[in-house]
Amino acid sequence: MYISIDEAKCMGHGRCYGVAPELLSDDVEGFVAQKGECWKVPDDLLGEAQDAADACPEGAIALLEQAPA
Amino acid sequence: MTETPTQADRDQGQSHRGCPVVHTDYTQETEVFGHYALLDPDREKSRFLFNDTTDRGFFMLQRYDDVREGFQQHATWTTAVRSALRPGSSNERLLPQDLNGQEHVKMRRILNQYFAPAAVRRMEEMATERCIELIEELKPKGADDFVAAFAIRYPTDLFLALLGLPVSDGEFFLEWSEDYFNSLLAGQPERAEESKKKIMDYFDRAVNERRENPLDPDVDMVSRLVTARIDDEPISQEDIRTICLTLMLAGLDTTRSALGFIFAHLASNPEDRRKIVEDPSIIPNAVEEFLRTFPLVIQAGREVQEPADFHGLELEQGDVVWLGVAQANRDPRKFPDPDKVVLDRAGANQHLAFGGGPHRCLGMHLARLELKVVLEEWHKRIPEYRIAEGTELRERGGQLTMTSLPLEWEV
Ligand code: SF4
Repeated sequence: MYISIDEAKCMGHGRCYGVAPELLSDDVEGFVAQKGECWKVPDDLLGEAQDAADACPEGAIALLEQAPA
Repeated sequence: MTETPTQADRDQGQSHRGCPVVHTDYTQETEVFGHYALLDPDREKSRFLFNDTTDRGFFMLQRYDDVREGFQQHATWTTAVRSALRPGSSNERLLPQDLNGQEHVKMRRILNQYFAPAAVRRMEEMATERCIELIEELKPKGADDFVAAFAIRYPTDLFLALLGLPVSDGEFFLEWSEDYFNSLLAGQPERAEESKKKIMDYFDRAVNERRENPLDPDVDMVSRLVTARIDDEPISQEDIRTICLTLMLAGLDTTRSALGFIFAHLASNPEDRRKIVEDPSIIPNAVEEFLRTFPLVIQAGREVQEPADFHGLELEQGDVVWLGVAQANRDPRKFPDPDKVVLDRAGANQHLAFGGGPHRCLGMHLARLELKVVLEEWHKRIPEYRIAEGTELRERGGQLTMTSLPLEWEV
């Protein structure tokens, strides 16, 4: 499972890193520090990844089966 | 030009451009929680409604998914109208709220860091100390108006602290800000101008003081505002004052009323109160649930800048859209048993009380901290309290305000 965070959509609600503290963190402005990135989620953090995606009110976080081309 | 509903519209089965028409007046004063009782039935009437109670009227988006999507139309639905209930009526300039697009992003980038979770954590110790002082002052009295004696004083003091000003200035500042709010609401523009001038002069002095003796701009917002550049231009003194005034308008009345609604609920629902007393670790989730069930900003307005088809709703340029925050927060499609306060509700934090999109509330993390600290410290010291007998609680419409909550407790 891959997680991808759309930089343009992220508005800094801070809910994702609140529910997924081991996967995500905040930057100085309160946006998720990993915005614009896409990476493979370690198996033990799949639950956190799902919670983060569900929590984002902007739909900025996508979970993907495959690494994007 | 915008079309206003004509008599013909009303006669034709009450529809306006194919949208059912309602006349619910959301600006009136009601008994407490009265507005939520109006909002729920409107949402269930039809997915979209046209409300004709204002000069321009407004199209109501009311369901969770629609409201959320509405906040994301920021490129073409702008804050040229900030409140669907008062389109254009407010000549008060607000910053950065009135800006849109890149201009808005640039100003937010300067402000965001003072409101980010990391910055709010830096304030926590001070916020807790101040909260304890205020509660200890109140406790021996055994009874007081919670709103006037506490709920408005606390956010005022923290607002001053955020600007790097002494919290003791709250003593006179509060009088000005209250006079300003009240005369605005009472439709007394001259008196409002008078108190506004006092506030603006006070900001002027604070800003000038920072120009002369700047503090570390990484932690002191005013110091940053006086040195920041947007497109190589400094921010004018007028704009800095306006930013301060906007923060005041956005932060004080909302926090006061949020506290009022939360304590009105807890005073009359002892089971919930005891849960908080017994296990304060539930407070952060409880705060989210309170924000979900009792949002004060029940709607955000937007003005449509180009014709659009929103899921079958035909919008024209100049239309006013209502983004029904409170209706989304209580939408049964999103939250089961939505009108019930469930302190440990899963997913409570997905509410839209702070809006969405680039204009989402700048002060959300600070507001959360304030509510959390008050719930913790108050219940440690005054675990049992009730609404004074014979009180009828009221709420003002528009942006909901609770002006009075008389509480009693044992000493
Ligand atoms: S919850 Fe969404 S909008 Fe908020 S910081 Fe995370 S990705 Fe960004």
